[in-house]
Amino acid sequence: MLLNIVHGTESGGFIVVEDTVKYSGREILKCFINAAIKRGEDVHVLGFETSEAELRAGLDSSSGQKIHFHKGHPDPLGWTCKSSVTVQQFNTPDITRLVQNTPHTKAAVLIVDSLSFILRHHQPVVICRSLQELKKVGVVKTIVGLLHSDLHLQGVVKSVCHLANAVISVAPANNEHCGVAKTTRRTKSGKLMQEEEYFDVSEDAALSVKTRTHQPGHVQTEPDKPKADPTSNLTFNLRLSKKEKEAKEKVALPFVFSQEKKSALLRPTPGTGRITYEPDAYDDFDEEDPDDDLDV
Amino acid sequence: MFPELNSILSSSPDSFRSGDFIVLSDRQADASFLIHHYLSFYLRAGCKVCFLGLVQSFSHYSAVSQRLGVSLTQAREKGQLVFLEGLKDSIGVISQEESSQSKLPLSYLRSPGAGLECLFKFVESSVSQNTENEDGEKWGPPVLLIDDLSVLLSLGVSAGAILDFTLYCQATICSELQGNIVILVRREEEDVDDEGSNLLQKGLIHQCSLALHVEGLPTGYCRDIHGQMEVWWRSREDAMYNQRKVFHYKVHDKGASFFARGTSSALL
Amino acid sequence: MAVPGIGMAGPAGVNTTSFQKKSRSKLVSIPGTRPSVQNGQLIVSTGVTSLDYVIGGGLAVGTLLLVEEDRYDSYSRMLLKYFLAEGVVCGHEVFLASDRDHPDEIMQELPSPIVDEVGSVKTKEGQAQPCDQENQDTMTIAWRYQNQPKVQNALASSVRFGHYYDVSKTMEPEVRQAVKCHSFYALQESPTTTELSLLSSPYHALLQSIQSVIRKEGFDVSTPQSKVRNVLRLGLHSLGSPLWGDDLCCTDNPTHCHALTTFLYALRGLLRTSLSVAVVTVPSHLMQNKSVMGQIIRLSDTAIALESFRGSEKETNPLYKDYHGLLHVRQVPRLNCLVCEVPDTKDLAFKLKRKQFTIERLHLPPDLSETVSRVSKIELAGGCGTTATGNKHLDF
Repeated sequence: MLLNIVHGTESGGFIVVEDTVKYSGREILKCFINAAIKRGEDVHVLGFETSEAELRAGLDSSSGQKIHFHKGHPDPLGWTCKSSVTVQQFNTPDITRLVQNTPHTKAAVLIVDSLSFILRHHQPVVICRSLQELKKVGVVKTIVGLLHSDLHLQGVVKSVCHLANAVISVAPANNEHCGVAKTTRRTKSGKLMQEEEYFDVSEDAALSVKTRTHQPGHVQTEPDKPKADPTSNLTFNLRLSKKEKEAKEKVALPFVFSQEKKSALLRPTPGTGRITYEPDAYDDFDEEDPDDDLDV
Repeated sequence: MFPELNSILSSSPDSFRSGDFIVLSDRQADASFLIHHYLSFYLRAGCKVCFLGLVQSFSHYSAVSQRLGVSLTQAREKGQLVFLEGLKDSIGVISQEESSQSKLPLSYLRSPGAGLECLFKFVESSVSQNTENEDGEKWGPPVLLIDDLSVLLSLGVSAGAILDFTLYCQATICSELQGNIVILVRREEEDVDDEGSNLLQKGLIHQCSLALHVEGLPTGYCRDIHGQMEVWWRSREDAMYNQRKVFHYKVHDKGASFFARGTSSALL
Repeated sequence: MAVPGIGMAGPAGVNTTSFQKKSRSKLVSIPGTRPSVQNGQLIVSTGVTSLDYVIGGGLAVGTLLLVEEDRYDSYSRMLLKYFLAEGVVCGHEVFLASDRDHPDEIMQELPSPIVDEVGSVKTKEGQAQPCDQENQDTMTIAWRYQNQPKVQNALASSVRFGHYYDVSKTMEPEVRQAVKCHSFYALQESPTTTELSLLSSPYHALLQSIQSVIRKEGFDVSTPQSKVRNVLRLGLHSLGSPLWGDDLCCTDNPTHCHALTTFLYALRGLLRTSLSVAVVTVPSHLMQNKSVMGQIIRLSDTAIALESFRGSEKETNPLYKDYHGLLHVRQVPRLNCLVCEVPDTKDLAFKLKRKQFTIERLHLPPDLSETVSRVSKIELAGGCGTTATGNKHLDF
């Protein structure tokens, strides 16, 4: 399901990528950008927390014109007057204007990096409203926002995720370099789908999802080393020659019953406890009563 | 400068990564020895250093650096070190006697709700001016050291404003000028519901490329091992991305020694 | 800058080299102070010798000692009085600010110093030595332990620093009036909230009062040395309590939640730039917001907490019957050096005796209860037939 959402085969809406200190979700954002470019859509990026260079790293350089970076980063609050957009401009009319000012062909994708920064400077209520309006107005088809869930109160995180059509929470997988993504998607009809997948993001922002049967902790790329023979280099002999092997096969094992006894045991007898005694070669079957020895 | 720490972090004054954002944090322990390490490290590397000393006086750092082999007074005279004496300058501002322009960086004391814009302007100007020493050579990449940032929470500045300030510093110093930043924050207990310092530390870790966290030993107090330090590599370019390792440490007069868990000299 | 005692040049910092260690002429010598053995810092005594030992020799000039009060403020108040009495005896200047009782009342209650007994305590120490010698010679069975150090319960350094006080007598008025005493009474200031200052009114007035005393009496290190230097001792009682106009102890979300911390920050700045030392007591058991206490501890240099047994269930606990309470060392400063004096143990208990406030390592007393069973056996001599008169208890 993760791949479907990222590659946009499901219809757009508002998608939240939720991450924590333990695993960063920015790579997933890059996958969204990459996928959107491949689909030929216009991408508008509101970058407040990271620089343009960092977000562009790994993306196809030929796609330059399709990505419109609205540079908030070096100066998101307007302190040094270097930026083209400040956090104050995160409201419906300003963003609509930004998107419409750039020439575009198809419906646009808006990437917000990050929602946490905007939530720090605006009331959560105002943000939620703006996001909902943007969805309704239709200027942008898809909005993808990055949210650091450990920087806000639980209530705020839950309220923002409540608005979303899909929420992707990333966390580190136990032993490996990849991460685990828990995706929750709500369709228009109200159906809820959830899935947990292991994923990995390559250098060129391509997302690969590992199959569900892939167990954590199993290193699959390392070929099995040929097992060292434990019977070599010992001071005693653990090997058997051919003759010895044959003799070994021939030894009569104890508790190997004859066929008759086996079938007798397997036959279900009604209640009677029959004791079948089969004397073997070493048994000394005596008629004497051992109690006769007692001197009482 | 602690040689053992240099080898753990694979860096030295001759070769260190630029554009690094390092966060030092502690909880029920004192991580200020790491700030002394970085101060002497970067001065030895020949970088231009801007130090915001908000909790101790200049002579304290000077005395310790003397033991580590670096002279702060000389560095200040040469122009390599810009030192903001937070304690000394703030008395006047708090008791509202002075309102001169020279105390502008500390304007957050007068109106803590306004944010740290003036402090940022001070940092920006000090790293961009005077970039050459007396021989005409350029100093190395600029470095910002802050000790400690969480005291601003006690003075009424909000955690969000502090995070904005560090974002601006990172944008200017790390991305533009390819310099480094080292920040010390002090944290509270986990179960204390403190919006301030825990939030501040988490926000800084999101931004950072290396996090060193110092804590007391979980087994209790010990005279020979002063505590444990966890190193968290967070830069994507690092081979050890997202790995955490724990070391034990002991601080002595002229440095600190770090060793793997369980290998203290008191035990072996 | 907690004033360094040995060798470092004066505040103007005109050092050209770092080799000025031998210049004795710049040595600041003030009665009642001595340089610390660890890092050459100038330190004063807190008035309680065992407390001096616990915090690393004494209080460094230019630093702040935070005392978290015990529940009924009996022992923390006593510590404050010891501190002020020590100042009087050493000839330092004293500044006292309090909220509940008028500073003059507290000054009248200062304990009187024991002058003659200093000699006798010394001889007692001297007498202790030959006993040790005897014991050492008589270890015939446990001779392997001969060279182990004797367990030191009472914590005291070997160098005499500080005085002893008799709690049952108060100081003579003539002795007290020999030193200059400044006071500040919180209830005289009416809390006005119209000011747009960071600090609520009593703290602001207190800060200005301290600042003016430091400037006028010449404790500021940056002013040129006009007269003989002296040390100013500041005792601030019960900061943070409602009588200071602060609702930090009353609610979870106080209105000026940063007033006390800003005041302590400014106080720290004042202390670092003058020859003064401060002891602040804070009623931490009243604080609703626990994180504020953490911030206050980090803003001070040395921090201890007193926990008295009176009124708690520990009073009847036989483990604690020898002591009046526990002493927790929350923080010890690292000034001008990387390392601080790390105490041996953190289990400390205190007891207020008439002539001494002792702080000892807490240890479990021997278990002498009646439930300990002792195996007694009658002499087994039966087999041999000899008369086994009496019971011989074989105790193993």
